[in-house]
Amino acid sequence: MFQDFKSDGFMFLIVVGVIIFVIAQSLFFMIRAIKRGKALGISSEKIKNTITSSAVFSIAPAVSIAVTVLVLSVALGYVLPWIRLSVIGAISYEVPAAEAAIEAAGLSGGIGSDVTDPKIFTAIAWVMSLGCILPLILIPLILKKVQKTVTGTVNKNAKWADLMSAAAFIGLISAFLGRGIAGTGELKVLESGEKINAVIGDGAGVLSIAAIISAVAFMLLLTLVNKKLKWKWLEAFAMPLAMLLSMGVVVLISHFAPNLAAIEWRY
Amino acid sequence: MTKKRNYIDSVHFYGRIWCIAALFVMLLVPTLMCLHLNVWPEGSVVGKAFFAIAILYYPTAVVEVIAYAPLLGSGGTYLSFLTGNIVNLKLPCALNAMENAKVKANSEEGEVISTISIASSAIVTTIVIAVFVLVFAFNPRFTAVMQSETLAPAFKQVTYSIFGAIAATYFIKHWKISIFPIVAISLLLLFFGSIQIGILIFIGVVLSLLGAHVMYKLKWV
Repeated sequence: MFQDFKSDGFMFLIVVGVIIFVIAQSLFFMIRAIKRGKALGISSEKIKNTITSSAVFSIAPAVSIAVTVLVLSVALGYVLPWIRLSVIGAISYEVPAAEAAIEAAGLSGGIGSDVTDPKIFTAIAWVMSLGCILPLILIPLILKKVQKTVTGTVNKNAKWADLMSAAAFIGLISAFLGRGIAGTGELKVLESGEKINAVIGDGAGVLSIAAIISAVAFMLLLTLVNKKLKWKWLEAFAMPLAMLLSMGVVVLISHFAPNLAAIEWRY
Repeated sequence: MTKKRNYIDSVHFYGRIWCIAALFVMLLVPTLMCLHLNVWPEGSVVGKAFFAIAILYYPTAVVEVIAYAPLLGSGGTYLSFLTGNIVNLKLPCALNAMENAKVKANSEEGEVISTISIASSAIVTTIVIAVFVLVFAFNPRFTAVMQSETLAPAFKQVTYSIFGAIAATYFIKHWKISIFPIVAISLLLLFFGSIQIGILIFIGVVLSLLGAHVMYKLKWV
């Protein structure tokens, strides 16, 4: 593996540097927030619960991010996608960014083809890095103003502000759920002009609906159990648990009923 | 009151420093790669691809900063934009933590809980990715298991599992304002099924805010 210029020893050193940077900044913000939390009278138990439940919540999505690294490693080796998905990057952004960069470099195979020319590889590295730095410039310039406006609005009409805050997030949830209900996946047009499903599982279908419905059902069930039995630990872990159980349902369906799992009404 | 201002101000002060440092790191990575490989890419190739991406993602980035900042708090915003994977991980994670701790996003307690939650999530995510990538890199058999027909679909649907779980909490509390955006987005997708998710989120948030505002004015909520 180390023979490949994309994943040699030096490249791994760059990753180590990036990982140290990300962990250092996270610890920096976390320690300051914990200190402030204690000064505000937030109990140690609440802080501990926040840390552990967020950690558990992150495991499954982190694995899916790692799988994206794997998808991109065919073309770009392990190091570049690894770095890109550890700082600023996002699953929804990095794959199309890599695809566009590879295409612009003149390689027709997209992310499925191994990039063997260092010149093209470095071009892709620049594009993927430059393509996502805007928030780093924007946030220092506008965040304070945005937050001040928000705080001002909240102080004026707390009920309306709370409602708008919930509505903003519900809008976001709706975009994702809507995609699971009626969003189309990637299409491939054959030479004959016939359109076929290019990627199984990316359009709305049995699996996306099963994931949504089972996650909702498990979450409601766990909330109910929590209300009845008053298990404190469950309160913090209900959401990661519902998410993992829902993923389990998807695994069961695709294992025991592969034909049913393959049904997509919007591929 | 002075203390609150001090903490928030210091979050902005250090957040800005970290942002500039991250910008430096982001540009250092491809520079180091070029120096190490002793090649520099052609400006025209980089420019062409960059333009294709920037036109799609830069407007989304502006909308994301404005839309997520009030939900994440200041510390949470700095940290999540520095570490990435906001919508599929950091945002639901922070909202879940605030819900459990029974604090509001726009309070200082919410600010603290959101920051702790996102920091914990960022550390775990970085470690999990590192462990998995190293296992992938050194053990092809593991790669085969992760990409097997049984396991792969679960990871493909993980976003729906996350948002399904979080939707249950939000929809119970705010069911009246939830119906309109979800129906509107589903109908929109029936006609324009392949709208890019960044744009879809923007439309979803705008529709939801409008719907909720109208219902508030009509005193339905």
